[in-house]
Amino acid sequence: MERESGAHSVQNWWKSFRGFLSAEEVPRWFGLSVVLIYLVGMGSIAQFGIAQARREMAIRFQGDSQFAVTLLADRLEAIEGEGPTDQKWLSACQRALREFAANVPSQSVRVVEGRPPWRIIASINPTETGTTIGARIAGALQPGGLEIATISSNGSEQRHRLLRAPLSPIPRRAGAGGGHPTPRATPEPGAEHYLEAILPLEPAEPTSLANQARLLAIVLAVLGALFVVYRCLREQLRGVSKIASRLETRRDRIEVDLASLRISDSLDGATAGWNELVALTERLQASVQRTEANEELSSVLQRSGGGALSEALNAIPDGLIYISDEVRFEYLNSAACRLLGWSASDAKKMTLTDAQANGLGLKLLELIRGAALPEGVFEARTEVLEAGDVQAQDLSTYRVWLIPLQRARHHGECVVVIRDVSQQIRADHAREEFIAQVTHELRTPLTNIRAYTETLSSGMFEDPKVITECYNVITKETRRLSRLVEDILSVSQLEVGSIELHVDGVDLKTLLSDGIRDVRGLADDKNIDVQLVLPAKLEPVRADRDKLAVVVNNLLGNAIKYTPPNGNVTVGCQVAADVVVLTFKDNGIGIDPAEHVKVFEKFQRGSNPEVQGESGTGIGLYTAREIVRRHGGDIEVLSEKGNGSTFMVRLPHRESRAAAVSPHARERWDAGTAA
Amino acid sequence: MAKILIVDDDAHIVRVLSMWLGRHGHEVVTAGNGGAALATLEREKVDMIISDMNMPFLDGVGLAKAVRAKSGPTIPILMLTARCDQQRLGEQLAMYGVRVYPKPFLPSQLVVEINSAFGGLGVAAKEGSVP
Repeated sequence: MERESGAHSVQNWWKSFRGFLSAEEVPRWFGLSVVLIYLVGMGSIAQFGIAQARREMAIRFQGDSQFAVTLLADRLEAIEGEGPTDQKWLSACQRALREFAANVPSQSVRVVEGRPPWRIIASINPTETGTTIGARIAGALQPGGLEIATISSNGSEQRHRLLRAPLSPIPRRAGAGGGHPTPRATPEPGAEHYLEAILPLEPAEPTSLANQARLLAIVLAVLGALFVVYRCLREQLRGVSKIASRLETRRDRIEVDLASLRISDSLDGATAGWNELVALTERLQASVQRTEANEELSSVLQRSGGGALSEALNAIPDGLIYISDEVRFEYLNSAACRLLGWSASDAKKMTLTDAQANGLGLKLLELIRGAALPEGVFEARTEVLEAGDVQAQDLSTYRVWLIPLQRARHHGECVVVIRDVSQQIRADHAREEFIAQVTHELRTPLTNIRAYTETLSSGMFEDPKVITECYNVITKETRRLSRLVEDILSVSQLEVGSIELHVDGVDLKTLLSDGIRDVRGLADDKNIDVQLVLPAKLEPVRADRDKLAVVVNNLLGNAIKYTPPNGNVTVGCQVAADVVVLTFKDNGIGIDPAEHVKVFEKFQRGSNPEVQGESGTGIGLYTAREIVRRHGGDIEVLSEKGNGSTFMVRLPHRESRAAAVSPHARERWDAGTAA
Repeated sequence: MAKILIVDDDAHIVRVLSMWLGRHGHEVVTAGNGGAALATLEREKVDMIISDMNMPFLDGVGLAKAVRAKSGPTIPILMLTARCDQQRLGEQLAMYGVRVYPKPFLPSQLVVEINSAFGGLGVAAKEGSVP
């Protein structure tokens, strides 16, 4: 058990050590231990190296010193003269001692008498000459000399080695000391004079070997420090290198938390550069992520059943544009291409800054550029743009939504939706005009009714003719008002699809005669001659009498309204095998053929100024045609501007009502009959 | 007593106004549209114009502009209209010195309005003077 535990600890230790070398995350205690061991080791090695070098150098210095002292003794012995009593000899001796001291660092070099009181007869220190060395160092010396301590002038203790060499009896015979010096490792007892040298224990300056040992220790310490720094930086570099490798391969999505790699700016100025590099890498990472998302979207579009999603987007009637963070037109559906006149491939090459366009495209670019904020994001916008041929008054209206994407709040991505609301705007405008016209049309007969009613009730006008006239006007205007209300009601029923046909046999002669009678007053006001021309035999048609009366009233009313005074209006009827055709012909202002379709549309009136000058709501012809169509028939108009108009109402004949005269006649007829 | 030109393509309006104004001592001349009114003004000098707004050929605005261009601001103009944008129309026509009067109206109130424009002139009704 203990063995397994030990093996496990070794494995852990080895794993931590390898992790430490490769700058991976290791336990803090392990890192500190390794650093401590390294520093202690480096210090020990350096200390050992220095001590070893000193020891070796001291031994060598000791040998050299001893040899130098022996050489000096030989030189002294070779001086010719009478000895210490000879001044010439002493001068030569003194010179030899100084030359020795000049080459060998010495505290003292001297010649001492070999008997008490051991007087110094020559020394490099002039003050020593004539003094005695004292009994404490006068004893026999061991080989290698005697290690002594001396007190310096500043009171500190210094250790030196005293070397002593016996000198042969002085004076020596001239020439006796020539040749190689004889080793004097052992002092000779009883010598007459001695040479003493007090030298340092070791060289005063470090040797080259000690220098090398110190340099090695310094290099190792620096290497250790560099390794620690490398470990710190390696942690930061690892994230960047990981991103770099993934950027190259792009094998998977990049989600490295780069913010953790930032270094405190308080360290020094160099960290600002590093943090800038991290920020740049962050932006690069975000860009790559979005690129991957775009590619993923494209991939989805391609994979989804051969572009089924793309087809779905292209089927949307609204223009759809996706702008990427590089302000590039990344995607346009078919409607956007059509509205802007761009091709999807060309648009993808454009950026918001270099794109050029005309018409709606130019206005859209201005809108998007205006919504781009300095910090690189878009603000939401909803605007209405107009584009088209201004001179031709062919303007289309577009509502544009610019929607910044929430997921890219910090980056400029947005979706632009363009909707052509021209039809809606026109419909709204027509509806507003209709309300204004209806208001006007209601107020006009009401004005007459109110004015003539007050005329009657005021008592100021008692002439019977005036009273009769008042009643007639009130009656006529009331009928006009009633017709208008009927028309509006019919439109309302047609709008909601609730109109019902109460089909019965309708005598056309009666229907048309009643219609002429209703507008007789209007015709008489303008002195318009209204004629009714019918075939001798006219069978009833199956229809809703009241609804058909609305049709007759509207067509007759229009004929009289748009025919100048003293004009003619002719109402006729022709019967064919399967259809009855009612005709309403006038010699009025006519209708431009370009507006033959428009005049049957709801709330629409002819653009002729003479038409605009007349009151009207734009629902009369629409109501008439819809009622006729619900009978299975249709209305046509033959007209030219200034040459009068002929409206032809085709109704299926009683005997052959199944024979449709319009595409949906049979269905509508059956529906109406059933109702 | 004043001479008043009534301009309207609705003959019934022209008729009822003629009766009421005549009864209150005013002389009335009539026209069916703006163009006819200008022709009348070529022939006759009037003290006031009462005109409908919507008329064929030349509407009330066109008539007012033409009158102001030719005669200046001397002739008061009262514009009758059944339109629903009467406030905007009133602001538009104020620069021509034209006063907008809404339809439907009561003839008695309109006569008071007209008489006040002339400082009470012709208020005395003349029984039996209906044209």
